[in-house]
Amino acid sequence: MKKEKDWLFLLPAILVVAVMTQVPFILTIIYSTLSWNLSRPDLPIEFIGFENYLYYLRIPEFPIIPEFYSIFWQTIVLTVSTLGICAVAGFLFSILLDHQVPGINIARTLIMGPFFVMSTASGVIWKTTIFNTTFGWYGVISKSLGFTPVDLLSYHPMAVIIFLFSWQWIPFFVLIILAGLQGISGDVVDSMKVDGANWFESTFLIKLPMISQHVMVAIMLGLIFIVKEIGLILVTTAGGPGTRSYNLPYAVYMEIFNGSQVGRAGALATMTVAITLISVNVLYRIIKKRSASFE
Amino acid sequence: MNPEKLKILRRHNIRKKINLLLLTLFIFAIAILYFSPILYMFLTSFKTEHQAVSPSLIFKPTLNTLKMVLSDANMFRYLKNSLFQVFFTTLACLVLAVPASFALVFGKFKKRNTGEKIYVWFITTILLPPVAVIIPLYTWYQKFNLIKSPMGLLIAYIGFHVPIVVWMLHSFFKDVPKSIIEASEIDGCSRFRQLVSIAIPLVRTGIISSGLLVAIFVWNEFFLGFNLTGNSTATLPVYMSRFREQQGMFVAQLSASSTVAILPAVILGWITQKSLVKGLTLGAVKG
Repeated sequence: MKKEKDWLFLLPAILVVAVMTQVPFILTIIYSTLSWNLSRPDLPIEFIGFENYLYYLRIPEFPIIPEFYSIFWQTIVLTVSTLGICAVAGFLFSILLDHQVPGINIARTLIMGPFFVMSTASGVIWKTTIFNTTFGWYGVISKSLGFTPVDLLSYHPMAVIIFLFSWQWIPFFVLIILAGLQGISGDVVDSMKVDGANWFESTFLIKLPMISQHVMVAIMLGLIFIVKEIGLILVTTAGGPGTRSYNLPYAVYMEIFNGSQVGRAGALATMTVAITLISVNVLYRIIKKRSASFE
Repeated sequence: MNPEKLKILRRHNIRKKINLLLLTLFIFAIAILYFSPILYMFLTSFKTEHQAVSPSLIFKPTLNTLKMVLSDANMFRYLKNSLFQVFFTTLACLVLAVPASFALVFGKFKKRNTGEKIYVWFITTILLPPVAVIIPLYTWYQKFNLIKSPMGLLIAYIGFHVPIVVWMLHSFFKDVPKSIIEASEIDGCSRFRQLVSIAIPLVRTGIISSGLLVAIFVWNEFFLGFNLTGNSTATLPVYMSRFREQQGMFVAQLSASSTVAILPAVILGWITQKSLVKGLTLGAVKG
């Protein structure tokens, strides 16, 4: 067996992935050190070092915190609360769906539905058929109860986005956690019954620790995918009012497509990637540590 | 057994049955409530625009709105673009990733841990958010007019989804007993023959489920599709995002379009959810 031949199996895949992901990423980092305005081709493209980063990070007048920090904070709030809600609700739903009742597969299938819906469609559906103050369910029901419906999208944009993100991602958590619950052997369940463990004990003290690995994996994968998401923000609040429901990827998108500032967008994108990779890495280490302690 | 005991036992049984019934009703209430936005959208697509103004559930269904949406030239173009991207991305990803993940598991390289290292590299590219690449891609695509060609988005999709297939298939290939491959090697079987006649039939489930996962991802993908396409090449998620400006207008038309846009992925997802669980958890939990 020639050893070179195994490389032939690998090279095309490596080449495509490298050209489409690694090379552009390195270029993004290079761009982040340039002063480059797409809408002003008359200005030269110059190397300006860390100036683009400082543009976001600098706090010129101390009590006034620049926009970058609030967007950064919103990204954290958005991601952490979504993942938290998904983990808790995903676990509770999984416990519920782990029962052997007639038609359970239909119930599981229904819960799974939202995960496969494209985010722009789910945003548009919720916005028009539910949150709309005149035509939507929310508007109609609150009027019939005697309340004046407020435009939730402009008054509570973050809460709405977190809610919609959770609606879409809870099924994914259920998918993984339920697999974990079903992997718990019948012996364990039987001995719990024999020992007289009540529902609370058996669920939270025995089953939860046994599937904590699955919960962590769901959180890690969820983080990777949720950080990418801008479609839902775009169709529901368009980041508004102002920048109150921006997340970092959305800010990058606005910087390049509305501001045409390639260098600044590059700096913002690089920081976004750095933050994402660091958080994923931390989560991964926690998972590795836990699985090591189980062995 | 005395009649007294039997009575208690029977009562116990009845109570058990009632509990089961209540639990079933509870589970279904939650499941239906959770699914209701999609269900309501589906129902509304059978309404006329006039009926859709009030969110009533009792109405005379009509197919006119759906017919109108499906015969719309715009909608058809987006649908066609989406199908093109899904089909060719899935195909190309499998063609590239199946041999690659096979070689990562069974290939022999000069250093023993090379396969492991390249596998980790593939995984790290999954972690890379698309914002990391969008700026150079956007400038290239504008410059070389790739936004006018479906090939532009296709290459980007392939690059972003190959690592996912490699990741999922890696765990499936690892379950193939090494002894089979080694035995065939002694018999003088070439690497290509090993892959085609031994390994692929054994990991068929993995190939199908990762292919379907990629199909669902691509069908729903918005970020790259939105930024790297022009009017003639945009996909369905981009089309859906154009409805954002219309506040409450054309609810029936919007619902019908959404139904067309989401139904394929939801049905595909339902059919494959079992194998998706297997692929995702095997890939993730085993590490």
